[in-house]
Amino acid sequence: MMSESSKKPMMPNKVIEVMVDSIFRKNGVKPEEVKDNLSEKQREMLKEMVADLKEQVEEFQQKRNESKSE
Amino acid sequence: MMHKKEWRALDYCDDQKDRAEVEQDAKQKSITKQSSEEWIIIKDSEGINVTTTDTQAAVSLQVGIEVAIAVVLSITLADSNQAKAVFQDLEQVMKTKQSNRQKTIVEKSKNVSVTTTDTDIAINIQLLIQLLLAIVVSLDIL
Repeated sequence: MMSESSKKPMMPNKVIEVMVDSIFRKNGVKPEEVKDNLSEKQREMLKEMVADLKEQVEEFQQKRNESKSE
Repeated sequence: MMHKKEWRALDYCDDQKDRAEVEQDAKQKSITKQSSEEWIIIKDSEGINVTTTDTQAAVSLQVGIEVAIAVVLSITLADSNQAKAVFQDLEQVMKTKQSNRQKTIVEKSKNVSVTTTDTDIAINIQLLIQLLLAIVVSLDIL
């Protein structure tokens, strides 16, 4: 069961999505307005940052699974 | 026994920030700290074999994602109070997964194997990255 945790998220994405949406809504965050606050360079930087972290998480999960199956 | 009052940095806070902000900074640090506390105490024992998983790497990854979430919010939301409020709401979710501190005590024992796993932190990392992705998708950054 544990080894599947990296493939199947513990918390369904939909739940996270709804939660983030409701938190934004509650605090009056409007995504369409937010776009204007970002310069192209900032957007690029954030994109890179997220991609980098995502990769690190995948690597981490993979290592974990490997050590489990040993 | 009488002893002189110890010098404490917080008694002489010259920081220009208002109090609430200082408190918040401290709080954020304490949260990140919580997750890294893994204690293994071995006393009066021999032949103890301890295997811990790579908790340190996991912790820094976790902190990295938390910081990333804060960065995304503070850059995209022009109003810093709004960013703070959103982060606080998100914190509620992030924190619930973070409360597990592990303490292992081995005392007067012989030939014991201890293997600690990082299940909780792995779940938390998974949750945090999902959260970060949902935020950037929702804000149309990706």
